[in-house]
Amino acid sequence: MGVYILKRIMTIIPIFLIATLLTFGMIHLSPVDPAEAYLAAANIQPTEELLEQTRQEFGLDKPLLVQYINSVMKISQFDFGVSYVTNKPVWEEVSSRMPATIQLTVGSLIIAILASIPLGFLAGIKKNSGIDHFSRFLSFFGASIPSFWFGYLLIFFFSVKLDLFPVEGIGTWKHLVLPAITLALPLIALYTRLLRASVLESLEEPYVLFARTRGIHEKKIMGKHVLRIAISPMITGLGMNLGKLMTGAIIVEAVFSWPGFGRYFIEAVFNRDVPVIQCYVLLAAGLFLISNLIVDLIQMYIDPRISRKGRQFQ
Amino acid sequence: MLHTKNKKLVLLISVMLLILSTVLLGCTSESVEQEEADASSETSESTNMITFSWPRDIGEMNPHVYNPSQMFAQSMIYEPLVSYQDGGELEPHLAESWDISEDGKEYVFNLRQGVKFSDGSSFNAGIVKKNFDTILDNRERHSWLGFVPLIDQTEVVDEYTFKFTLTEPYYPTIQELANVRPVRFLGEAGFPENEDTSKGVEQPIGTGPWVLEEHKVDQYATFKRNENYWGELPSVERIKVNVIPDAETRVLAFEKGELDLIYGEGVINIDAFNQLKSTGSYESSISEPVATRILVMNTNREMLSDIQVRQALHYGFNKEAIVEGGTSGLEEEADRILSTNFPYASNVDATTVDYDVNKAEQLLDDAGWKLPEGKDIREKDGKPLEIELMYNSAESIQKTMAEALQSEWAKIGVKLNIDGVELPTQVERFNKNEFDMNFYSTSGAPYDPHYFVNIVATEGFGFVEAISSYPNKDELLSQIAAVQQSTDENERQELYTSILGSLQEQGAIVPISYIKQIAIYQKGVSNFTFPANRDEHPFTGISIEE
Repeated sequence: MGVYILKRIMTIIPIFLIATLLTFGMIHLSPVDPAEAYLAAANIQPTEELLEQTRQEFGLDKPLLVQYINSVMKISQFDFGVSYVTNKPVWEEVSSRMPATIQLTVGSLIIAILASIPLGFLAGIKKNSGIDHFSRFLSFFGASIPSFWFGYLLIFFFSVKLDLFPVEGIGTWKHLVLPAITLALPLIALYTRLLRASVLESLEEPYVLFARTRGIHEKKIMGKHVLRIAISPMITGLGMNLGKLMTGAIIVEAVFSWPGFGRYFIEAVFNRDVPVIQCYVLLAAGLFLISNLIVDLIQMYIDPRISRKGRQFQ
Repeated sequence: MLHTKNKKLVLLISVMLLILSTVLLGCTSESVEQEEADASSETSESTNMITFSWPRDIGEMNPHVYNPSQMFAQSMIYEPLVSYQDGGELEPHLAESWDISEDGKEYVFNLRQGVKFSDGSSFNAGIVKKNFDTILDNRERHSWLGFVPLIDQTEVVDEYTFKFTLTEPYYPTIQELANVRPVRFLGEAGFPENEDTSKGVEQPIGTGPWVLEEHKVDQYATFKRNENYWGELPSVERIKVNVIPDAETRVLAFEKGELDLIYGEGVINIDAFNQLKSTGSYESSISEPVATRILVMNTNREMLSDIQVRQALHYGFNKEAIVEGGTSGLEEEADRILSTNFPYASNVDATTVDYDVNKAEQLLDDAGWKLPEGKDIREKDGKPLEIELMYNSAESIQKTMAEALQSEWAKIGVKLNIDGVELPTQVERFNKNEFDMNFYSTSGAPYDPHYFVNIVATEGFGFVEAISSYPNKDELLSQIAAVQQSTDENERQELYTSILGSLQEQGAIVPISYIKQIAIYQKGVSNFTFPANRDEHPFTGISIEE
């Protein structure tokens, strides 16, 4: 078991290296000249001489391979360079904004799980009932409404009209409610449908029939067996979306003035702040890798058949 | 059995560890500070406070740096020697008076006495020199400001007299001293150990009416009244700046009453502004022109090198309708490159160009651009009259105006291709002269007119190449050089009248509209006035019902 986890962690390293290579390549292929972007951000009129000086300062005049190795060495020590705009270390800026984004993401993930598991499960075992119709409506609604619009609607009704929550800002749990719901809605839509389909599929499996013939209580069949098997695709989906949530919080952060790193990143794009963009892309890659690893481990825990299957091929 | 349970336990623990490590990755000491700050902000909530919103964080409160520090906030803490007032009047501020030598090179300032920094230290010639010297250590960065590269030496004459010498006369010096940055004054205790403020300051200590009390990055900042302020004490005790990046959210927060004031340029959608105004529940005002939106035609392009074509295009669009439609009535149709409330700009002759399609067609016919039978686009020597207009795709006003121009000019047989680009690309292509037509905004108060004419004459900003077909280009450039060095007021006025008049007459720089600031505030707020300097804070004299 421990060996398996170690192996999984080891595979992250080459994938992450590929990610660094891709980001490095993208930045060097893009038409933006980092030296020029730096001078523009510093409000300095670029001259050839200054550009040359800046390139030397950033080591941009060295061969590409040397630049790449240098950047990987630095990144491995969490040194993403200095922002062109604020002149502060990028990692410092990003990590100081991370708690807000994590708070928002985890909040919406919890809401998504609490809403979609009961809803999807009940819709599955009570096909074509009222709750099934409701879940269908919610899924269409959640999948089709743009999140910024849904955010405005929530603010308009629950904050401006009913005065239940503040419009913007961070601090208390009240500040978190509306943005977390906004961010969770598309997930709820997706997972409710996913779980429902997978519950319906599981109900057709022979083990349900066997369990019934063995006289096991219906509640136990559903709760202990069907749900446990059916939830597996949903967990995979959650893992894929954890990274997406973090990086996709940008719009919600803007609408609710949430001080997370999504907003910081948007400004960086407008300012062509290359080190920040690079840090963000790598961070997103890292998040995807870690969340996939977490999901794999949870899967193994819930459904031991997966690891057994894995071992068969070893 | 035990074995499998153990396995599960290992799995469970490693999962928990991984989740925890992801979460903890970002949770530094910051979160603790946050709680403390939240607690203190609740207690500091006072009634005599104005809450307003700004799209971005105020940034580092250092008087000598640029973006991302926000100018309105810098101007609350730090003050200039000279202040820019309505109509471009330059009035004494931290300097009570000044003398300029006959040759225009020596500037002597008599500093105001009894001014204290917010930490109690006194404002004198020594600290003025110290600020000047750290600015001059970064000359390159500040060289966009004409007088900075010319400063030869700075000198403390006596405790309240400061003097600097320029290498050559440069009349806009006094006006440039009114800018929000970089020539404003940081107190002694604010200087870092190596005395170089370009990398940061120790504490934001200024002489201004406000003191930074609390700052939560990307959330809010509160400013407290400086109780030792030398000038008139503000009647409001605190100003709170909420960072709200989204314009719609700003409107919603205002409607809910979380904000007392919304102020600035382009801070909310104009339709939302008009809608809020129409409810009658709020007060609103619109400022005097602070800058001009212009259309620049590149006379380096063959088609646009002909003055008749440029004039035809000018006659060929309904400016009034385009400005009204594009800005929902906020901006005002402009007939001049600089509106008359700018220094030296009131005497400039500007012939009004009235919308006249027939005249436009006549001019194009005369220039040899004829409409071939059965075609919609004029041609000359087999080449169609096709022009490209570049605009900033993120700016809806530019986009709407570009589309309107496209349809207007199609009526006179001109094909306009519109090209929406990002702002950095727009600036880059303009500077490199890679455009046919482009939208541009003048820098406005307090930078013009000298900054605008200077940009027109300087290589690398796009204008000097764009006006290359002007028959009097050389004369214009020498006049612009002369005006900066002029020491005689009358001569200077004459030069400006001639330069601005000629730039406009040649028709490559077409004024479109005057840009204005808006303010909307709750009924309890009174005495709101717009600053004459567009970058300054608007809180002078403001008050709120408790």
